[in-house]
Amino acid sequence: MNEAILRTEGLAKRFDGVVATSDVSISVLRGELRCIIGPNGAGKSTLFSLLCGIYRPDAGSVFLKGEDVTRLPAFRRVRRGLGLTFQTNRVFHRLSVRQNLSAVLQIDRADRPADAEGRYRFALERFGLDPDSEMPAKELPHHRLQWLEIAMVLAAGPDIVLLDEPTAGMSTDETLQTGAVLKHLNASGLTIVVVEHDVAFVRDVAQRVTVLHQGRVFAEGTVDEITEHADVRRIYLGKV
Amino acid sequence: MARLSHLLNLLTGPEDIGRSRWFWTGFVAVCVLLFVYPLWLSEFEATNIAYYLLNVPIALGLGLLWGYCGVLSFGQVAYFGIAGYLYGIVAGNMIGDAVGPIVGSLCGLAVCAVVAAIFGYFVFYGRVQSWIVPILTLVLTLLLETFLGQTAGYQWRVGSVQLGGYNGMTGIPAFQLGDYVVAGYGFYYYVLIVVVVTYLSLRLLVNSRHGKVMLAIREDAIRAELLGYDIRARQLVVFVVAAILAGVSGLLYVQWGNYITPSQVGLLQASLPVIWVAVGGRESLLAVLLSTWALNWLNYTLSSEGYRYALIITGVLLVAVMVFFPSGIVVALARELPKRGLRALLGEREGEAK
Amino acid sequence: MDIFATIISILYQFATNGAYLLLSALGLIVILGMMNIINLAHGELMMMGAYTASIAWHQGVPFWLCTILAFVVVGVFGALLERTIVRRFYGRELGALVVTWGISLILSQGALMVLGPFLPSIPIPGGSVGVGQYSFSVYWLMVIALSCVLIAGLWALYNYTTFGLQARAAMQNAAMARALGVNTGRIYMLTFSLGAGLAGFSGALFAPTVSIAPFMGQQFVAPAFITVVVGGATNVITGAVGSSLLLSLIKTPIGFVFGAFVGTVALLLAALVIIRLMPDGISAVIQRRIDRRNRFA
Repeated sequence: MNEAILRTEGLAKRFDGVVATSDVSISVLRGELRCIIGPNGAGKSTLFSLLCGIYRPDAGSVFLKGEDVTRLPAFRRVRRGLGLTFQTNRVFHRLSVRQNLSAVLQIDRADRPADAEGRYRFALERFGLDPDSEMPAKELPHHRLQWLEIAMVLAAGPDIVLLDEPTAGMSTDETLQTGAVLKHLNASGLTIVVVEHDVAFVRDVAQRVTVLHQGRVFAEGTVDEITEHADVRRIYLGKV
Repeated sequence: MARLSHLLNLLTGPEDIGRSRWFWTGFVAVCVLLFVYPLWLSEFEATNIAYYLLNVPIALGLGLLWGYCGVLSFGQVAYFGIAGYLYGIVAGNMIGDAVGPIVGSLCGLAVCAVVAAIFGYFVFYGRVQSWIVPILTLVLTLLLETFLGQTAGYQWRVGSVQLGGYNGMTGIPAFQLGDYVVAGYGFYYYVLIVVVVTYLSLRLLVNSRHGKVMLAIREDAIRAELLGYDIRARQLVVFVVAAILAGVSGLLYVQWGNYITPSQVGLLQASLPVIWVAVGGRESLLAVLLSTWALNWLNYTLSSEGYRYALIITGVLLVAVMVFFPSGIVVALARELPKRGLRALLGEREGEAK
Repeated sequence: MDIFATIISILYQFATNGAYLLLSALGLIVILGMMNIINLAHGELMMMGAYTASIAWHQGVPFWLCTILAFVVVGVFGALLERTIVRRFYGRELGALVVTWGISLILSQGALMVLGPFLPSIPIPGGSVGVGQYSFSVYWLMVIALSCVLIAGLWALYNYTTFGLQARAAMQNAAMARALGVNTGRIYMLTFSLGAGLAGFSGALFAPTVSIAPFMGQQFVAPAFITVVVGGATNVITGAVGSSLLLSLIKTPIGFVFGAFVGTVALLLAALVIIRLMPDGISAVIQRRIDRRNRFA
């Protein structure tokens, strides 16, 4: 029985009267590639921040590899094997590519995945990143910056990565390339959770999809199940 | 053998100016020169040079804290004063005891570390905004100066040592290693060794894993945190290291002049490390070292003419550097010169200056 | 009767300390709230205000006019500073700190060189009033009243004038304000000018109570900065008032028992503890309360 590597129970978060998420319970199995989608305002970003540990929930819990991490701040979750990338690219723009990559923690964890190094090297190669390059990161084109961020996260050897709209601003080709790399990484055993808008990307990459709407889990299933789901189409068109 | 080569790698790493063989040859040459220089100097001249150099550790500490870690402290001189006064108290009460100076030095540095740790705990674990650190460190310094200034009465003594109020503490013993009293030429070598060891150690530090994390914290602390680092603890550690280095300068100062006054902890004095670091370039240890040496020499030369002018000049220098050379004069030169040299080498002379 | 007088005395000390902190910090907070910059030349601007007042007073100008003059002169000087130097450092807070420190050195040393080691002092206007065994300075009573008026005036400025509206917009979201046609460059200059003017005004008000010398600004640095740190940058009015009141609450009893210096040390320690609990200052805490109450349910 494959256990859930990331699980939430009844997560709820309000911001001064605005309910961002309520009663969100999801369960991501080890080795899954999950996409979280939903129309604007559905609560995707809030959920992402709650999973990371940037926000504390008003109610509910977050479990990482079976451990209750609800009270833990983000950096402690990262140390337990969680990797994070952000919608607005957050590499160290003034530092060089080399400095960015060498700044990443290599935690000595007993349960650090065996092929972490392999995954990192693979990503570097497929994304065309030179780990010794002294070029300032800000001179990289946008899609390479996103890739750099992913590579940085992989350098730490996580068990699961959360990506917030990694293909935002990318062309179709770049999106496909990103998808291919993520699929390969997932095939090697890395659990990946992606918050996404790009439907084509989701279809290409996802195994399971969670749909959020108005702060709740609206639907969950495989890509096919979700795209056939009449109600899902409707919430995107604003009829529900 | 692998450890040694790893160490050498760290030393020549890219996080400071100067990596090439030329640089290190030059560096070693200058060190050797400095070691034999006293043969041509009178004892007075030698101790003068030592006086310019003794401020290097406090400047390097601030350079590390501000330039590499992104934390600005205006109150480094507080630790300068704490170490100096404490050494004076402890060593002064242990006159005649050969280990007095060593115990005094260790006490001075230990107290610096403790004060910095407590202060740093409140500041860094509170996750305050960046402008709070310079403000509160400045306030600490000012309060320390006020306190020391009002210790004039006879009741203000520890053991047999008077604190002395605004006139300060006098009769502070020189440093001693066993029965050897470090003074004169000996003092010159003592300071030189401390400065070189400090610089090389810091260079090792900034090129190490810890140094790279410091850079990340400087650039985007939140992002660094989300890579798994405990930024609060790391900032605290660097803050304490900088305080200890400031204390080292304080010790050297009292061991040089055998006195200390509260003005060493005053507002004007507090501005000096900031100026040295800003003028040289905070993102390079070497730049800080060079500018501290140069500005101390300048200050000494100017103050024989007229102290008041020295201070206005430093104020103007600070403003001018911040406006025109925000990354520091030495750093700007180091970045520009190779480019110009290369252009001349390639024979391109366009005629106009850039 | 004796108890009554003692209570009045305590209130008086509390109010005096509060007014002292408020006036010391107000100019700083105005600038901080808008541009997120700490003006380290603040003490020197206060000195300039005191100098202006002293020079004017000894020319026969009535004292109240001297303070207005100080406000104007230092305000104009502030605008000059902003235009030439400070504006290059928006977005670079630490750089702004350092450069304003350089300016403070130039100003204090310059004053020493040009005008000598001290200026003739101004005698405290007004006499004293006695209640029971205590006597209270009429001047300080006026200063306390004036601080209240000043805060009320600032509040009106921010909430009832066009400038105030534009300033608040720029504070919340500068880019958006610009998109709506607000000339943020001008707002910043006016704000810096206002902050400087307030510093000058405070300096003039304090002038009769201290010796007027080039480095007189230094004595205000510690109280002003601590007040600003505890107040925070979220809201000028609530930060200034809340912080002065809270800190005065701490300083008054401690200062009364142990003296002024220990009182200030207590303030620093209090500030360290307070920022651990309220890292963004009192103004941020108050703002959250207000926001929460403004929502439904």
